[in-house]
Amino acid sequence: MTNHERIAVVVIILFGLAVFLVGTDGFQAFTTEQARTNQLIKEQPQVPNVVLEDSKSRTYSMEELQQNKYLFITFMYTNCATVCPQLERNMQEVYQQLPVSMIKNDIQFLSISFDTEHDDPETLEKYRSYFDSDGETWRMARINEQQALDKLLDQLGVIVIPDDYGNFQHNTAFYLVDRDGYLIDVMDYTEIDQAVERIKSVIGGDSA
Amino acid sequence: MKQAKYGLLLFIFLILPPVANLLESIMIFHMHTQMPLFVFAGFLMTPFYHKKFPSFFMKWNHSGIPGILLVILIWSYWQIPRAMDDALAHSYVEIFKFISLPFLVGIPLRDSWRKIRNHGQFIFLIYLFATLIVTGFLYIWVDEQICNNYLIIEQQTLGWGSLAMAACLLLYLVYRQFENDEEV
Repeated sequence: MTNHERIAVVVIILFGLAVFLVGTDGFQAFTTEQARTNQLIKEQPQVPNVVLEDSKSRTYSMEELQQNKYLFITFMYTNCATVCPQLERNMQEVYQQLPVSMIKNDIQFLSISFDTEHDDPETLEKYRSYFDSDGETWRMARINEQQALDKLLDQLGVIVIPDDYGNFQHNTAFYLVDRDGYLIDVMDYTEIDQAVERIKSVIGGDSA
Repeated sequence: MKQAKYGLLLFIFLILPPVANLLESIMIFHMHTQMPLFVFAGFLMTPFYHKKFPSFFMKWNHSGIPGILLVILIWSYWQIPRAMDDALAHSYVEIFKFISLPFLVGIPLRDSWRKIRNHGQFIFLIYLFATLIVTGFLYIWVDEQICNNYLIIEQQTLGWGSLAMAACLLLYLVYRQFENDEEV
């Protein structure tokens, strides 16, 4: 290699490195999903105060439901045969691993369906029973107003793509919202123990 | 010079918004048609730049190593799942794709190809084979959605496409080895 070429190699490596650095947020995110999650955790957006209709046909706003508790949210639709049952089953695991007092006083579980058309209260009521959700400390609900639903999905970076067969392609995670209605964590829904630990430490830190 | 004209025409054709949008709407076309065609456009344009700046290539890419290194780095970047999503979401990334693939991959690849000789070419083809295998398996066996803009089924189609291309490349690599042996 000539001297010129050595210079070229150095410049090329630096340039390549810069491309990778910018393209992956400093090697932090190799998929858009990762980038989105990192961004959300950094920004901690406020959860819009949307109106929910739950499986018992009760309607209330997010704030009314929350009542100064933490919120543990998942997004799903009941027709989903692939990832949602797994997501809800894992949510059930988290629910069961938390101490009863915490469930009672500190944290509200909420599964939100984005299939507003199909998932009416009766459907949700049935779906709820598959996962031993009591319909109180763990509720399943839909958001009837499309605009509000879109805003919530957008705010929390949930991407829902309907396919041609009445199904939806969507990203999946556990969402943790603090007592003031700000998103504080987006967690891997397959890491049940991690999620339990995270919730315990957040709530524990609060009461101490 | 005819080649250069065709290259330029192909390049212009590919960046026409309807053409770009169509190719990008289907994942496997995005990765295995549009991106290689951009590289090919650069390929065709290379003689023009050789004539125009002969000393530039001689001086900075004498051995072909800097050129092939640039090719490997930029091509690797475009293998990252997020790069494809970003190209759809941000226009500056899309413009970078339009420019980087012909000019930073196509042209240096053609310029370097003869210079790096048989051994260099073999190493480069192995690299290409490895990227196809890795992305192929990644897209087929990861159940999660890797690219937010595409459906999982498209992702899997792309994965099998990559593996099919890897198989073809493997055949070629074997053929190349036999051919070389006979020459000796």
